[in-house]
Amino acid sequence: MTVKARSCFHCGQPVPPVCNLSVEVQGQLQAVCCSGCEAVANLILKSGQASYYQFRTETALRPALEDLSIEDAWKRYDERHSLWGSPLKDGRNELLLQVEGIRCAACAWLIRSQLEAREGIDQVQVDVATGFVRINWQPAKLRLSRIAGILAGVGYRPHLPLASAESMGRQHERRDALKRLGVAGLGMMQVMMYAAGLYAGDAMGISEGFERFLQWISLIVTTPVLLYSGRGFYTSAWRSLSHRRIGMDVPVALAISIAFIMSCSNFLTGNGHVYFDSVVMFIFFLSLGRYAELVIRHRNLQTGLALARLLPEWAELVRNGQSEQVPAIDLRIADRVRVRAGQTFPADGLVIKGSTDADEALLTGESRPVKKHPGDAVIAGSINRAQAVEIEVSRDPDDSTVSVMGRMLLKSQTHRSRYAQLSERYAGWFVAVVLTVAVLTALWWLKHDMEMLLPAILAVLVISCPCALSLATPAAIASAGRALLEQGLLLTRSEALEILGSIDTIVFDKTGTLTSGSPTVVNTVLNPDRNGYETDDVLRIAALLETDSSHPVAKAFADIGVNREEVADLVIHDNGVEGRVGGKNYRLGNAAFTHVNVTDLMGGYGRLWLVDQAGWIARFDLDDGLRESAGETMDFLRSRGLDLVILSGDHPQAVASVASRTGIEIWYAEQTPGMKMEFIESLQANGKKVLMIGDGVNDAPVLSMANISMTVSGASELANSTADFIITGTSLKYIEYILLAGDRTRSVIRQNLAWALAYNLCAVPFAAAGMIVPWMAALGMSLSSLLVVLNSGRLARKKSPVIPRAQAGLVTP
Amino acid sequence: MSMLYVLIPLAVVLLAIAVFALLWAIKHGQFDDLETHGWSVVLDDDQKPPPAVVDARSDAEEKEVR
Repeated sequence: MTVKARSCFHCGQPVPPVCNLSVEVQGQLQAVCCSGCEAVANLILKSGQASYYQFRTETALRPALEDLSIEDAWKRYDERHSLWGSPLKDGRNELLLQVEGIRCAACAWLIRSQLEAREGIDQVQVDVATGFVRINWQPAKLRLSRIAGILAGVGYRPHLPLASAESMGRQHERRDALKRLGVAGLGMMQVMMYAAGLYAGDAMGISEGFERFLQWISLIVTTPVLLYSGRGFYTSAWRSLSHRRIGMDVPVALAISIAFIMSCSNFLTGNGHVYFDSVVMFIFFLSLGRYAELVIRHRNLQTGLALARLLPEWAELVRNGQSEQVPAIDLRIADRVRVRAGQTFPADGLVIKGSTDADEALLTGESRPVKKHPGDAVIAGSINRAQAVEIEVSRDPDDSTVSVMGRMLLKSQTHRSRYAQLSERYAGWFVAVVLTVAVLTALWWLKHDMEMLLPAILAVLVISCPCALSLATPAAIASAGRALLEQGLLLTRSEALEILGSIDTIVFDKTGTLTSGSPTVVNTVLNPDRNGYETDDVLRIAALLETDSSHPVAKAFADIGVNREEVADLVIHDNGVEGRVGGKNYRLGNAAFTHVNVTDLMGGYGRLWLVDQAGWIARFDLDDGLRESAGETMDFLRSRGLDLVILSGDHPQAVASVASRTGIEIWYAEQTPGMKMEFIESLQANGKKVLMIGDGVNDAPVLSMANISMTVSGASELANSTADFIITGTSLKYIEYILLAGDRTRSVIRQNLAWALAYNLCAVPFAAAGMIVPWMAALGMSLSSLLVVLNSGRLARKKSPVIPRAQAGLVTP
Repeated sequence: MSMLYVLIPLAVVLLAIAVFALLWAIKHGQFDDLETHGWSVVLDDDQKPPPAVVDARSDAEEKEVR
């Protein structure tokens, strides 16, 4: 069978070779990968919103089957007034929902135009960056479940508004910081302009009245900026002083104060210079830094939300034979909870009634469902794959495995933020050195020439303004980040690009990182002795037999559209399935189950045989395929002298198979998250710098433990929120691209730093010697900053893409 | 040159207006989302889903869920 690689029109993922679904777009048939994508794409196209496909910049979330029934699931929230959002006047409510799958501006447009068209919804705001949707609606005219249904219908997954109060608080904090930054920025522009006049006056002469006028105006503009935007530095400096520590803000507050008081006294006495421009400039650049820091901190908090979302929001509590829905967070030890097939376990517990298969892949990395009988422990966040069971809660939600993992995550994140503290300490030192030089300069001139005292001090302060120095790194990284984004690579932690070059070990998580993650039929062999069966027939029969199976291999057939009614007498065994199709009995399973007399040696997911009473009809070879260009990428990584390691929670055979196919010699199987963390820690203790590439939730703490982390396409949201790089494409070649981009970035940063340092070292002695007047210092400082920015801009210059992005948009005529 | 004595205070008044405008804009969420709104130019807001589709979708979902 020939396999042509196609990607889904809606979600951009590869279309399984046996899938024949398609949608009609502008008279052309476009392939889709599953019935979920088909339904969503059809709805979007029928609503006349085909331009979504034309303008989107990211592919869509692949809808899960349960998303389509989300409206029914939400019906039980309809009467809960507390979930309607905060009430506004005249019967309207403001609802804040976190929605999964919002990736670009076209998504926001799609959601807005779908929702706003409904009776009862007045206004919709979509925040692409955080995935929050704010809906102004009238509960009297519309049910809450309908809103969820509409969102799910166009392929987005809404979550219950968990921490709306908290997210409002964060919004408030961000707006506050932005206000302070904006005021400082506007003030700086003005005061710099007056300063230009004053410096020009110094050089070419200025009437005294006019000079005083400009100083007046500068004072008037600077004072509110200092009081409003500078307030934060004073409060934080005071807080650290009252704890008898010298914090980063102490020298900052000191520098601002000295410059401001000195300027004021000069202004009042009427001789000497004013340096209001330096004051506002300092405040502006420092506020800019603080704002960036705030954004990053908020992103980390988002991680907590992602963890919480792993758990179901409601649980079915069984008490005296009656069952009722209670919030999962209210569960206590010894409560009995019923978990139906397909649902997620809401708490850690012991099975007390019934037996089932639990899918713990997200938490343990184990790709096969685990059998659970009465007395076995289940973990919160794993999925009940087979049938309804009752469990007895054995741990409070706060102590569950997932919550503990959340705390582990937090710990490793604080561990990592030491890098950030380090750079802050440098900044503190830098300020201290500048202040010392200024004081020394002052002492020298006090003895020799009082006239030169203040101009020299200020020349030192202005010329050594750490602008170029502090811009050197962020400007280069911002440019590089933009270039990466054009390739579909998201850089989420800026220091990561800097330390990329020091990496000497790359650790892969096998499941889903090196492989595409789900089994596919790579080959179908028909028995030459049996007539009357075509490839399509046997695939259809196999798909019918696997309809009800929850075994992972069933996924290989899940995309063949079949009618459930054509199959009868389905029985699911441990190693296979049997059933009646078209009046004939078939069995599908491994060689032992189907009594085929062969020795089965193939690794991975192995082979499936389709048999009837007369013997075997067809053989399906299944495997977990490697990701695109895995081999080439491994060669490249080895050529850079990097150690490659696979650390997987999977079975040894599965890991060995992938290791031999990629040529990675060091691999460990059956690793728990704890063991992975220990392994990375021991590597780091030996002085290794580790780059971790993963995708599962179980990797989240490990990812944030590593020096740098990347997630690949299809990674869980939690893993993404801890990763430094997010690769949205499916090819591993992007890793190569990121490493090369890191090389280029580092060389530009080195150039920038060298320039800024050389400039400061050369200029400060002249300034201290009184040979540079403040206006020359200001000009020099601006030019040196400009040079740094221009040099960094080289990184963003457009380069031809390494890999063409998955073709997902409309073909424009 | 004496004109500057008028123009500069005028500029300061304008600055004050700009600051208040900025604070108002931030307070009303104008800077919360800098991505989406630029797109509303190319994406046509007038294309509301026709009512027929709105009704049909519920049926389609029912069928999908079975």
